[in-house]
Amino acid sequence: MNNAPTIRDAVQARLAKRHRAEMRFQFYGLAAISAAVLFLAVLLGSIIIQSIPAFTAHRLVLDVEIRPEIADPRGDGSEASLRRGSYNTLIQNSLRDQFPEAGSVGELRELFGLYSAVNAARLLNEVVNNPEVLGETLPFSLPISDDADLYLKGLTTDEEFLPGAAPLTLEPGMDDALTLRSQTGAPVFDVFLDLVQARQDAALDQARIRAERTAARAAEELDTDTRNSLEAEAQRARDLVQALQEARSDTGPVRLNSQTASLMLRAQGGVLRINALARDGLSAEGTWLVGPDTASQTAQDWSLWVIETPSIARRITDRQIVWARTLKERGLIKNGLNTTLFTNADSREPELAGVAGALAGSILTMVITMLLAVPIGVGAAIYLEEFAPKNRLTDFIEVNINNLAAVPSIVFGLLGLAVFINLFGFPRSAPLVGGMVLALMTLPTVIISARAALKAVPPSIREAALGVGASRTQAVFHHVLPLAMPGILTGSIIGLAQALGETAPLLMIGMVAFIADPPTLGLSGFTEPATVMPVQIYIWSSSAERAFEARTAAAILALLTLLVSFNAVAIYLRRRFERRW
Amino acid sequence: MQSSLFAVLALLVLTAVGFLIGRRRAVAAGSGRASRLHSLPNYYGYYLALWTGLPAFVLLALYGLFGASLVNTLALGELEREAAPLIREYEAQLARDDQYQALAEETQQIEAEALSARNEMFRAEREGGDAERYLRALGALTAQRNEIAAERQVRRDQVASSVAARAPRTIPGVRARAGFEYWRAPSERRELFIADARALAFNEGLASRNTEEIRAAALALRPWEDLFRWSAAGVALALSVAGLAYARTRIRASFRARDRVEGVVGLALMMTSAIAILTTLGIVFSLLFESIRFFASIDWRIHEFLFGLHWSPQIAIRADQVGQSGAFGAVPLFAGTALITLIAMLVAAPIGLMAAIYLSEYASPRLRAWAKPALEILAGVPTVVYGFFALLTVGPFLRQFAMMLGYEDAVTQSALSAGLVMGVMIIPFVSSLSDDVINAVPQTLRDGSYAMGATKSETVRHVVFPAALPGIVGALLLAVSRAVGETMIVVMAAGQGANLTANPLESVTTITVQIVMLLTGDQEFDSPKTLSAFALGLVLFVMTLILNIIALRVVQRFRERYE
Amino acid sequence: MTLDFPIDNPPTRYHPLTTQLPIKVATEDVSVRYGGKLALEDVTLEIPDRAVTACIGPSGCGKSTFLRCVNRMNDTIDTARVSGSIRIDSEEVNGRDVDPVVLRARVGMVFQKPNPFPKSIYENVAYGPRIHGLAETKAELDHIVETSLIKAGLWAEVADRLHHPGTSLSGGQQQRLVIARAIAVNPEVILMDEPCSALDPIATARIEELIDEMRENYSLIIVTHSMAQAARVSQMTAFFHLGKLVEYGPTEEIFTNPLDQRTQDYITGRFG
Ligand SMILES: Nc1ncnc2c1ncn2[C@@H]1O[C@H](COP(=O)(O)OP(=O)(O)OP(=O)(O)O)[C@@H](O)[C@H]1O
Ligand SMILES: [Mg+2]
Repeated sequence: MNNAPTIRDAVQARLAKRHRAEMRFQFYGLAAISAAVLFLAVLLGSIIIQSIPAFTAHRLVLDVEIRPEIADPRGDGSEASLRRGSYNTLIQNSLRDQFPEAGSVGELRELFGLYSAVNAARLLNEVVNNPEVLGETLPFSLPISDDADLYLKGLTTDEEFLPGAAPLTLEPGMDDALTLRSQTGAPVFDVFLDLVQARQDAALDQARIRAERTAARAAEELDTDTRNSLEAEAQRARDLVQALQEARSDTGPVRLNSQTASLMLRAQGGVLRINALARDGLSAEGTWLVGPDTASQTAQDWSLWVIETPSIARRITDRQIVWARTLKERGLIKNGLNTTLFTNADSREPELAGVAGALAGSILTMVITMLLAVPIGVGAAIYLEEFAPKNRLTDFIEVNINNLAAVPSIVFGLLGLAVFINLFGFPRSAPLVGGMVLALMTLPTVIISARAALKAVPPSIREAALGVGASRTQAVFHHVLPLAMPGILTGSIIGLAQALGETAPLLMIGMVAFIADPPTLGLSGFTEPATVMPVQIYIWSSSAERAFEARTAAAILALLTLLVSFNAVAIYLRRRFERRW
Repeated sequence: MQSSLFAVLALLVLTAVGFLIGRRRAVAAGSGRASRLHSLPNYYGYYLALWTGLPAFVLLALYGLFGASLVNTLALGELEREAAPLIREYEAQLARDDQYQALAEETQQIEAEALSARNEMFRAEREGGDAERYLRALGALTAQRNEIAAERQVRRDQVASSVAARAPRTIPGVRARAGFEYWRAPSERRELFIADARALAFNEGLASRNTEEIRAAALALRPWEDLFRWSAAGVALALSVAGLAYARTRIRASFRARDRVEGVVGLALMMTSAIAILTTLGIVFSLLFESIRFFASIDWRIHEFLFGLHWSPQIAIRADQVGQSGAFGAVPLFAGTALITLIAMLVAAPIGLMAAIYLSEYASPRLRAWAKPALEILAGVPTVVYGFFALLTVGPFLRQFAMMLGYEDAVTQSALSAGLVMGVMIIPFVSSLSDDVINAVPQTLRDGSYAMGATKSETVRHVVFPAALPGIVGALLLAVSRAVGETMIVVMAAGQGANLTANPLESVTTITVQIVMLLTGDQEFDSPKTLSAFALGLVLFVMTLILNIIALRVVQRFRERYE
Repeated sequence: MTLDFPIDNPPTRYHPLTTQLPIKVATEDVSVRYGGKLALEDVTLEIPDRAVTACIGPSGCGKSTFLRCVNRMNDTIDTARVSGSIRIDSEEVNGRDVDPVVLRARVGMVFQKPNPFPKSIYENVAYGPRIHGLAETKAELDHIVETSLIKAGLWAEVADRLHHPGTSLSGGQQQRLVIARAIAVNPEVILMDEPCSALDPIATARIEELIDEMRENYSLIIVTHSMAQAARVSQMTAFFHLGKLVEYGPTEEIFTNPLDQRTQDYITGRFG
């Protein structure tokens, strides 16, 4: 060829560059897919990890004496009398027996804060159902408060156990206080003092940095209001620096308070709380939180128990920590499977909250959605695909359905609120209305997939049926519909799965209420207030209690399991009945 | 309950009987030979069953849907009528009450001031003045007004209780008091009143209160309820029997029963597809109707709603606020929606598109078999789960990250975290739509390019992509519409502050978030605050509708081109 | 169709005059499998330069498959496996170090259905030079586009609407546009797979004329189902049947004096 070699050279010259571009492009593609898969993995992984603490729960098993004078105030053993009994007092008494030291009102409030009083209702039911237990002692198991549970799971509080270095003498001092002194003259408490010191230094550094930064920002700020507030903040930081510096140079005993770490001392089978320490690390002052077995003046075997998280930064007090751990050591608190999560309805107390109510609500709502969306959707599909004349009106319906499929779900909620509730006067928060709204939302999906399934049935089937003298209706209902059924079912299930995960429209019609009793799984349940799984997830995720975090994640896993099984059924149907013409 | 169950059972039996009679008669009419009949004997049975059952069941269904509210309206209307003397007395006393009238005048004055403050604010927004000042003034005025409104309410309650106390303690007196209480109650209290009365009257759940008035209302409900229940059952049975009798007379050998039955079936099918249209109409009319009421309540200041820069529907802080005259400038919401949508599309468009291209042009069947289901799972995850993920994982992570980079004011609920997570949610949407579109590009175009010596990526970039562009644009528009209408992620992760900002690390609010905020929790119907949610809904609907129509058109055109 | 050939087909018959022209493409024992299916079996032939070689044969006999071996388009099909040797100017096409990108710049291809890219006429023709970087300046590119369109006999019709979309042309014009696109990178061999089957007789005639002119500069291999077309435009003819090359030789010889019974039957229209 005339100029072939030059062209080949030109092609060759650019070849390496082009192949690099090719590799780059491929890499982008692979990166995009990996990113999507990675997102999925992180999403599922983080939810699974977050959910783990929710699957176990610590329960307290107490021997509760059913004292007749408390459980049966009228003394006649009648149900009415039993219902007026004060069952929480029974539980409280049993718990007090464990810790006779707890005397003051405040201490008792802390003690009873280890569980929620709502549990007494279960004890009441037990006694009302078997009145013969009056006067006996029953083992009664109840979930402990969420904060104690999280503490025992080691999620909210950092702590450390240090063996005692040398024997101590315990001298009674003022009030209940004891003075603890190292017998050998070894500074037995200096480990803890170092910790306090380090903590103070860190706080000081932080306060200094903050003071500088805010002052710098205040100097740059133009807006007067903002500058003033920044300056005030800087001043507060400077004051803090001052206070901390003074505290450092102080030579008196170190006092422990809610801002510092807490220090417990375990000796003679009891637990002491240290209130103050001498700077030399030789002596300290403390009170018994859990009384000792023996009343000896010396302690050979002892250990330090440092609760590093200051009590201001946790929702459980020192006493509650000590009691909870002691109860656990006494074998009264045990960790086990958290069945409450699946048997209870919602509750304000995380340890008593479960998804059973939301699950029942979801089932009721889905029943309505299914009963409405599937027949109506399939009917509409049959009409449009098999009967409708091809004219402007059917074109319009078609465009309409495609548009409805892309209308934001929240708009369906507004429709439900305005029409079903405000206009028709249907009950708020009810699965009936929720199901209707979701049915309208799902309808386009069902129609579109049902039409596709009907379209996939070859015309020869219809022609054959019509050929032997069947009417159009007969041809459709006897021949086409059965063949299209698997496809229709698959599409419907996928549509229902979408509805099952939908939240926003249900918020509009008030299904976001706090529902402590699960709705009845029967006819009347359709009009009772209820909530559904995704809304329950939303409610829990906006709760302040830390324990709800794990429970929300667990509820999400439950919902995802439901969705996966829905889709698995759909895939199975598709595989099982897939037919190629 | 039992009576209606009985009616349903009776109807079912009657319908079955109708079917049997129809068949029997048809066989008789054909003198025992089916071939003489126009249709199969079963069709005559269906025909009779339809006549027997259908009208009656429709009636019962109507009763089931609307019976209770009709009974409520009638019974309480009756009570209200009996309360007329009390109402007249109450109004007369209020008109005579100087203190009350003074308060009313003051309210009017404050409202006039608030109006001018609002005008000023809007002007300042347009002309760049100190709009914040007027917003604060407006807040102060509203608080003042609400305080007065509360005082008026107290005064009204006093007058009302003195008027009610004058009613005799006889049965008519109590009934009048019940009607009076109901008449005075705002609509959400009315609902509660009715619910309590029904609870007492028919054991429908637990009543929250049990007063004399509610008992009177319960007693008033009962006769109406009985009347309706029995007459519904009676009329249904009568209809059913009449239908049976009529249809029976029509059965002859030549009667076209099959055509009739199929006609009904066809009609029913047609009605099901009409539901799609009814839904759209329902959406359009309910949104329009409530929006009109909203615009009326803000004196038709639609331009303020669309172009105002301050959104603060609950400006007053008092708990007992009655109605508010907040600021309804929706621009911060539009801007927040746009910002989050933009971030989401910046994530979803490149990743979704590249994933689709890679899957359809490069991936081995094995990789496809893994990646496609993964994307489908991503698409099937409920949005509330994404919201949780954004709130508890992405938000805190981004905040830490921003603080590490020296941005001190970082917040957990930010436009960025909501946008990122929403982008992830939309990836599978974009990728599956563009996958369809890319696969619709004919192979001959690719072959043409390869035969010229183009590499795969050159073919994709220079031939496949331009060919698929209209379809891809359509897909992206649909994705935008999805992002604009997405609710849960933003509700949970974007925050609620109506900040007008372009900083993705700040928290912003969106149209959907505000709809949820306005309509959940305690709401009073008919207050501008509640109604404004519908106006926002209308804006959202129109916006997404336009996007959808354009997108569907574009995709349609694209498909026609390569059919 | 009924087959009345002996089961053990004789190997390819070559006409005596086959090797008189300078050889451009030479194949030896080329076989192609799609998955397990043998689509082309042991094809050995030599294709002359500056001449038109026609491939004929009943549908499904492997003509397109053979054509796609020459520019390695079979690489784009996952299941296709090619064996044997194909040489262009004694350079092995299937060699490991041969980049299909470079090869395809040397071997142009025109398909059955005109497939202009969804771009302007100008951009369609400029596509090859652009991706291969053959033009340094806009003027050079303009020049290439113009000469290619002139060579393809399309210039007069499109000179004033170079920036209209390529798809706006008629079918025959589109096919010539595609030919212009192929010759814009100045290939040495041009493959045409039934280039006229989607066109009306007048457009077909124009393409045939064009093919005849192009013979001056290129080695052309065309697949056709029309005996008349093969007879009109080609100098050499290869007859394929059931994946095998049955007979190969000068067109005149094949049409007037076939050596194989199957060729005879095919060109006289007894089957296929
Ligand atoms: N991509 C492919 N995958 C599997 N088999 C293929 C593929 N392409 C072609 N075949 C098979 O290879 C054989 C030869 O096909 P080819 O397209 O080469 O025939 P052809 O001679 O060009 O036929 P036609 O005249 O109809 O175009 C046929 O049996 C065909 O089914
Ligand atoms: Mg072919």
